[in-house]
Amino acid sequence: MLNDLKVGFLSAKSSIKRGNKKTSFFIIFVLALIFMNLIFLPSLINGMMGLFVGFVQDYTYGNIVVEPVEEKIYIENVDNVLKKIRSVTEVTGVAKRIEAGASLRYKQNVVGANIIGLIPKEEVGVSQYPNIVKYGEFLGELSRDEILLGSMIAGVGTGSEIYDNLGEVKVGSLINVTYSNGVERTYKVKGIHEGTFELTDLNAIVHFKELESVLGIEGEQKATSVVVRIANEGEEAYVKDKIIDVGVKEDVFTWQEKAETLVKQALQSIGSIDTMSKIVSLIVGASLIFIIIYINTLNRKKEIGILRAVGVSPNSIRISYIFISLFYVSLGIFLGLIMFFGLVFYFTSNPIVFYETLKIVPKVDFILLIKSILIMVGMSVVAGFIPAWFVTRQDMLEAIWGR
Amino acid sequence: MIQVKNLKRYYKTGDVIIKALNGVSFNVEKGEFIAIMGASGSGKTTLLRILGLIDHQTKGDYLIKELNLKILPEEQRRYYRLTQLGYVFQDYALINEMTALENVSILSLMADGSKKESIETAHEALKKVGLDGMVNRIPDKLSGGEKQRVAIARAIAKKPNILFADEPCANLDSKTSEQVLNVFKDLNEKYNQTIIMVTHEKWHTKFVSRIITLKDGLIISDKKIK
Repeated sequence: MLNDLKVGFLSAKSSIKRGNKKTSFFIIFVLALIFMNLIFLPSLINGMMGLFVGFVQDYTYGNIVVEPVEEKIYIENVDNVLKKIRSVTEVTGVAKRIEAGASLRYKQNVVGANIIGLIPKEEVGVSQYPNIVKYGEFLGELSRDEILLGSMIAGVGTGSEIYDNLGEVKVGSLINVTYSNGVERTYKVKGIHEGTFELTDLNAIVHFKELESVLGIEGEQKATSVVVRIANEGEEAYVKDKIIDVGVKEDVFTWQEKAETLVKQALQSIGSIDTMSKIVSLIVGASLIFIIIYINTLNRKKEIGILRAVGVSPNSIRISYIFISLFYVSLGIFLGLIMFFGLVFYFTSNPIVFYETLKIVPKVDFILLIKSILIMVGMSVVAGFIPAWFVTRQDMLEAIWGR
Repeated sequence: MIQVKNLKRYYKTGDVIIKALNGVSFNVEKGEFIAIMGASGSGKTTLLRILGLIDHQTKGDYLIKELNLKILPEEQRRYYRLTQLGYVFQDYALINEMTALENVSILSLMADGSKKESIETAHEALKKVGLDGMVNRIPDKLSGGEKQRVAIARAIAKKPNILFADEPCANLDSKTSEQVLNVFKDLNEKYNQTIIMVTHEKWHTKFVSRIITLKDGLIISDKKIK
């Protein structure tokens, strides 16, 4: 077997060294494109995932979210729930929230929006709301007749024209809000926020106590959700169990559980395109190597027959073609990696923009890189071996006669 | 050294059976240089291929040093070809991407596995055929005669018991043919190399020590030349 390897290597080396350089470059280039196709689209999807995850964690659910048990509207005795959650050592921040639907009116423009009631100081370290105010200021502890608007409903955000908006509201403008329970309020716009995910910018924010007052639950210690941040990403399930263990009876979810449907739906279509594209790429790559090696073996059929006739083992001939395939694919992967990281660098500096606001940056998944390299190598070994196997199984005399 | 006993080789083409060899028997002694002659279709190449273990006989026995080669399984036949026999084809059968040295050393590498030894052996063989100055040339840069001498070097590099040559001068002009045949003659005289060569050129017989003539798959004459 060792001799087979040595002869196979010698044969492959001379074939590569003195073969047609232009053909070799073309094969390597096509394999590089195939490899890049295997990894680039998934890295974009990864980047998109990161955006979704960022939105879900930074604004809606944190790492863990506590919600009222089924059929209840509010979490009862919410301060006690907060106290219990804070007792869990891994927890770094907790914020209670109330949400309500409302219609907002400014001059002749009316839009529907979700209004979130929150305690401003609790949000620091829990959500990004305090950090994304583009105009004006975030709410203060005494804000009662003030509102923070998302840029999309304010009509000042890039791409806001595709949504109903209030028409260029400015900081200091007065807007009328009619809540779903019929309560009407007039608020002064204290700030306009703009995050990286436009769903965030379709919300409006008021102080928790203001919304308590609107809903008529002032001082009743009620909330519609409690958002929890933890020290280490990835420990959500473990911390969730600890929160349940300290006596929180409400429904507790990790962000993954809450986002599963959303992310799944969002990525399902693009995921199938990616899978199809990968399969097609692999088939093209395998066929390319197969055809090249097959034509090579056909052209050298007589030579291979003669090599066998003088005593060269069929295994060493097969091994030589596997070495040739491996050589092409290794350089293809190397060139593909250079092209891939070049594209990653380019798109990191110039993100792909969706809906004018979503900036998607490719995110490298090293496990996927290693998997793709292994798939390419495996594919090349099989695609190189099959034609060589066929030709070395053929009757020696037939091969010598070139039939 | 070689015993060929009633060797037959039949081919079936549709309903027709072609008797390429129809009972050939002869012995070969160590150091003989034999020319197998005959008209086209007489069975001389078929006989050489069976003797070279490239083809199988339909009937009969073929023994080298008392070993009946009929019983060997395919892998052992290959190993026997590699280590005990040398074969020169009429169209050189060199690998175009390999240098003369690589073309010759590949079989030694296959047999012994030592790169250093295989290169030394190849140099030695190329020197024997007068090509020691052209070891790094690829076949495209060699003349027909030089290519055939590389093919001979490849066949003799492992110091085979028997060297077979199938019309080695078929693609060469008469001057180059003479050079190649002189290489065979030198190998035979200097190294006592047993050689069996198929040829249809009568003038080639001046280099050999015995002529076996075939007709319709049978030996019609077998004579030694002094």
